Amino acid sequence: MTAGTATRQRKSAEGNFGVRTGRWARSAIVYGIVVAVLAGVAGQWLGVSPPAAYGICSACHGRDLSNWILNHSEGARLFVTAAGASWPLLTVVGLVLGSFLASIRNEEFASINLGGNVRQFAFGAVVMCAALFVGGCPTRIIIRTGYGDLAGVLALGGVATGVVIATLSLRWAARR
Amino acid sequence: MIVSFSSLAVGLIVGYLAQRSRMCTIGGLRDYVLVRDTALLKGVGAMLLGSWVVFGALHPIASSDVGRGLIAAGTTPTGLRAVAAIVLGGLVLGLVATLSGACPLRQHVLAGQGRVGAWAFLAGFYLAAVVYTSWISPSIGSWVI
Repeated sequence: MTAGTATRQRKSAEGNFGVRTGRWARSAIVYGIVVAVLAGVAGQWLGVSPPAAYGICSACHGRDLSNWILNHSEGARLFVTAAGASWPLLTVVGLVLGSFLASIRNEEFASINLGGNVRQFAFGAVVMCAALFVGGCPTRIIIRTGYGDLAGVLALGGVATGVVIATLSLRWAARR
Repeated sequence: MIVSFSSLAVGLIVGYLAQRSRMCTIGGLRDYVLVRDTALLKGVGAMLLGSWVVFGALHPIASSDVGRGLIAAGTTPTGLRAVAAIVLGGLVLGLVATLSGACPLRQHVLAGQGRVGAWAFLAGFYLAAVVYTSWISPSIGSWVI
């Protein structure tokens, strides 16, 4: 019965362009393909390289941006990749702004405090160190694996193992 | 200058789509292990397959050195210690990212839609970036590749 109603709703939305694109935007598969294409295009034609497969990364681009700001404001000499050395990489700013615009447009923006913010701060620090150590956030590790980076394949295997261990231990702790 | 504009545009597009799809790269495997939900795992598979196809297609189109062969040059870790270090680093990354609730990219998206914990996460994230490049990276620089 529920399947019948769902099918009818989909047929009625067929003519509405906005509803149809909204459904495409909610698909994780579309997101994955768009990220892959944008990473390739940005790395090849939009100047987000020399490091190979550097189109999208939340950890490395964040490192480049924060170090660029410190280099230019405090005169520090911190490491910045060649892509973000002269002009800053603003991917992380775009990420936050883009999700802010999406949540405003769809009336999902809400300030939610779940608590445990000190713990989240510590987790953020550890995640950044581990991500810079293996050479990218999980998104860039996947992109590097597609590029053919052997270190990326190894890191992806490590990340998958870590996720499974953490999930199983969380479930074990919740069931006790 | 084009780098700033293009990376900002890429970030805007990816941030918008990530907020709509609730996509998280570690969330795919987590949801599969917990409740056998494969929606996000399909997204991860699409990203992996898509980037493989894109970089494979870029090589003949752009006639550059991307995507040459199955394994790119200069990415092979030297020695068993580098392999162990990379796998262990990835393990810590996956472990702690799962405990914090989302992958780094998803934390940026959550910060954009108003989650306070994500802003705390990002504060530690960018502080650690400066700490890592200032003190940790110089002492372990030759470990990876």
